[in-house]
Amino acid sequence: MQVGDVFGPFIIRISREQLVRYAGAADDYNPIHYNDAVAKAFGFPGVIVHGMLNMGLMASRIMEQVEPSARLEQFHVRFRQMVLPDHELMITARVRQIEERIAHLDVQLGEKDTKPAVTGRMRIRLPG
Amino acid sequence: MLILDAERLGEHSPWRVHEVERGAIAKFARALQLDNPIHFSPERAHAAGYRDVVAPPTFVVTLLPWEIPGLTLPEAGVLHGEQEFEWAAPICAKDEIRVSGWIEGVKTRTGQQGQMTLITVASEGINQAGEIAFRARAVLVVTEEVAHAGG
Repeated sequence: MQVGDVFGPFIIRISREQLVRYAGAADDYNPIHYNDAVAKAFGFPGVIVHGMLNMGLMASRIMEQVEPSARLEQFHVRFRQMVLPDHELMITARVRQIEERIAHLDVQLGEKDTKPAVTGRMRIRLPG
Repeated sequence: MLILDAERLGEHSPWRVHEVERGAIAKFARALQLDNPIHFSPERAHAAGYRDVVAPPTFVVTLLPWEIPGLTLPEAGVLHGEQEFEWAAPICAKDEIRVSGWIEGVKTRTGQQGQMTLITVASEGINQAGEIAFRARAVLVVTEEVAHAGG
């Protein structure tokens, strides 16, 4: 890993089925993630993706790219826009700094040609 | 409606103990479409140096504290503005993680939708060996309208 390296863009699409699976796995049954009528009552166009599912997908896609013994030590995200299921999304990361085997990455998730919906910073401890 | 007791800011909730189960880790990993065997196979996890199957990082969202002292959130409409996790000791199946949460800070901001309250809720998880497993920090955003709804 070098400063300036870019990982991605990784193209993903989150299905409604995945929202239901995640709701069960995370024990998060907020109806805005599975009930269109409730989501619309809150002003959304329909059900939206759990912020924490977006964060989990960002963490896992990026950590799949680094050496298996690297450890994710910290991850901070801002949720800026809603994310909708069945839309094509891109996850991208860029290595900002590496110092004493600690890498700092800027990470984002969003639709193509729009402002990112989720932006974040990751700190990864590299082996050796 | 939103009820905040400023005098209880920083007060830690009593420990809530979570027993981490293999099935819960596998279910969470499948929901993220992960296929790394360290989340599913104890043998492969051992070979990779873990005590047992290891949880994906954001599995910590399932390790919630008891009620946060001094905080009652509106039933609906609370926005999740930011989330931060720090991970230390790996979280593996059969771990016993005790978790406590507290209000770390409260800010108000005036925006297009009137006044907003930004509440930072922190939590910490410690494993059976007394090692820190994770620290979490969430910024919850409550608009004026949501704060007074149902009140």
